[in-house]
Amino acid sequence: MVQNRNKLIDLLIGNLYNAVLHRILEKAIIQKKPEIAGGYNKEVKNSWEIAKSYREKINPKTNALPIEDMEFIRKKVINRVKSELLIRISKGYENLRLDEVDAIVDIVMKEIKII
Amino acid sequence: MELGIVGRISKGSKMDQIYLPKNRLGEGLSAGSYVFIKPLVSAESDKLKRESSEKPILYGLPMISNIKLYFCKEIFKTIEKYFDSMDNIILVGSFLNDGFNFKDIDLLIINEKEKKNEKLKTILEERFGVIFHIIQLTKSELMKGLASDPLYENMLSKCIAKKRIVFNIKRVIDPELLDFHLLKSKTLIYNFDMLNGKDKYYMTKNMIAILLFIEGKKISNQSISKAIKEIFNIEQSCIEENLIEKKEFLLIYKKTYKKVFNLIMDILKKRKGNGSE
Repeated sequence: MVQNRNKLIDLLIGNLYNAVLHRILEKAIIQKKPEIAGGYNKEVKNSWEIAKSYREKINPKTNALPIEDMEFIRKKVINRVKSELLIRISKGYENLRLDEVDAIVDIVMKEIKII
Repeated sequence: MELGIVGRISKGSKMDQIYLPKNRLGEGLSAGSYVFIKPLVSAESDKLKRESSEKPILYGLPMISNIKLYFCKEIFKTIEKYFDSMDNIILVGSFLNDGFNFKDIDLLIINEKEKKNEKLKTILEERFGVIFHIIQLTKSELMKGLASDPLYENMLSKCIAKKRIVFNIKRVIDPELLDFHLLKSKTLIYNFDMLNGKDKYYMTKNMIAILLFIEGKKISNQSISKAIKEIFNIEQSCIEENLIEKKEFLLIYKKTYKKVFNLIMDILKKRKGNGSE
């Protein structure tokens, strides 16, 4: 059961980090390119929806997670997003705000009832 | 006896003209006489006749059933009534596949002015009883999208348009945009067990479309299926029906994802190194 919970948290982290990264890249790109085909194929599941469905399987479902889980998830997501952003920045990607990562992760974690 | 002649205006280089036969009966039509010319049908009925005979233009589709063609025309008419001016209406997506196995209708409205999708969506859904996904764009947004976005190219590789679309567009590789689109395909890596066949196929298709775009190859449903077969050694239908062997598929998927990501990053690095956007 514990193993199952840890696996679910791992999957939640994977999807949360992808969803946060997607938001940051979208923010960097959308003003420059309003024509991006974001509206097409929206019905296909995305990381955010999948993260929500994993969260619904982790107890406590409706309240915030225990503080140690909360901190573990937060740290993991922030580190993974930052390392992905750093790869891009090292290749010359502009307008990626590393300083906003923590705040966006906090917003997302609240939305999904982790904190 | 005074007779009239029905003629057709033909185009000339400087002046348009109506030809009268040399051997004609009747009075008042001799050379040098003055005549009064007026349209045989009213401008309104002429417009209606022209509209009803206008056929939608098919791209990437050898033919379409009469019932779907009728449906297309009715959709176009409903949308045209709704807008004062309209550049083009383009139907894309699963509605154009054979049969009636579609859940919704995807359409692009090309228009310079108004943006009022929600109201139009309700009108169309009430009239046709199907869910509509509408993307409204200006002509220049469509052209930019077609030049830089593999999803647009794939979307328009099979479509029905009200008016002709100019496809003579030079591809512009935009690494930031491709990186953003590629990220959608990463979801499959973490969630193989959770996704259905349709999601898995869309994510694979998205990744392969980006690869073909970078490689300068044609993007269409057929070319994507062919590339999937070559890379994964599997038919498109197997992915759609979720009949794939997880370990083997994921191994190739991750390798291909990494390859595409690295290609995008290399382009980005080269561009920024050269100081060009």
